[in-house]
Amino acid sequence: MHTLDPQSLTQHVDRLYRAAWALCGSREDAEDLVQETFARVLSRPRVVRGEDAHYLMRVLRNTFLTGRRTASRRPTTVAALEEVVAADPRPTSRPEQALEVQELYSKIAELPEDFRLALVAVDVLGLSYREASRALEVREATLTTRLFRARKQVSEKLGGKGTTPAESTQVVRAND
Amino acid sequence: MTDDPRIDPHEEIAELIRSVEAPAPEHLHERIREMTRAGAGAGERRSARVGALRLRLGAALTAVAAGVTALVLALAGGSGGAALSLADASAVTLRGATMAAPAESPSDRSDLNAAVDGVRFPYWGERFGWRSTGSRLDRVAGRSFRTVFYSDGRGHTVGYAIVAGSPALEVTGAGREEWRAGTLYRLGRVRGAEVVTWKRDGHLCIVAGRGVSGSTLLALASWHERASAA
Repeated sequence: MHTLDPQSLTQHVDRLYRAAWALCGSREDAEDLVQETFARVLSRPRVVRGEDAHYLMRVLRNTFLTGRRTASRRPTTVAALEEVVAADPRPTSRPEQALEVQELYSKIAELPEDFRLALVAVDVLGLSYREASRALEVREATLTTRLFRARKQVSEKLGGKGTTPAESTQVVRAND
Repeated sequence: MTDDPRIDPHEEIAELIRSVEAPAPEHLHERIREMTRAGAGAGERRSARVGALRLRLGAALTAVAAGVTALVLALAGGSGGAALSLADASAVTLRGATMAAPAESPSDRSDLNAAVDGVRFPYWGERFGWRSTGSRLDRVAGRSFRTVFYSDGRGHTVGYAIVAGSPALEVTGAGREEWRAGTLYRLGRVRGAEVVTWKRDGHLCIVAGRGVSGSTLLALASWHERASAA
């Protein structure tokens, strides 16, 4: 066990952002989710067991679930133009890749919540099965099943548009 | 079924997802850096408080246990808890109205006929075209939140909350600070909404809205202070 060092958390921003994007399906919501996650973590000193990344994933998940519950109770509003413009210009400097990432993450965001969390923990955040099962508070076997089904569904969603998984891989990498 | 990803038939998808390079935008990095700096500072201050508290405990032992508890609460900044995340602080301002809108004050054209502990809600109708459309009362973190909602007539709504009780609750997680006429305003973004927090006469105030820029909220929030001072 160790006390979480706030300064060391900045190294996880990119990974958490990708995880949040895949969970929410939109960059704007991902930014909010990451910011909220850090606000929660930093609100008081934290004693963490294991890696910081697992802990952050758990807080991200809880913040995401809490946010969804809150959102379901309030009226939805259409994003204003200024919100869209406020997005960071960096991803649009490579529009093709930004589009493909958006498409991929939006497919992930369409998954049932449990499948999505499993896939984000393992494939987006890069946690091991054991780490992910602890972060998500599920049995490893459950996580494995959810992950398998999540990948299958994403594969089908992408394949349904005439793109095989292998081709998709090539497309994203072609823009790297 | 296996947990060995090497024989997962959908490993290609996993590879695709892992190959994505999508760095967080620089402004988000900057916000997090600001938050971690603020968090580290708060941690150091908290450690200093805890250190002082331990010294007192050593000297007074169990006889002052009750006093120490009170001291902890006082050092934490007020009535139990004393700090809210930006998301929690702004949550009620982003919900819907449950009560009627207060009318314009008959005695002061810059105020509505509604207040919390004597801190009045502003009247923005004449100056900005934002009219009060409803209100609500909530209890958050043991404090009473009164919120008045304003609409600009173009579908945008802003919630303005004044939190009862003193000392004012602190808000953590705001990303940017701006000074206007001697008042510190903290700006942040929560789930698609811009949020501004500040203090009026020792009371936490929160303005938040979706589809409304932070600078507009800041202008609305700070106008009342300037109007009152004029």
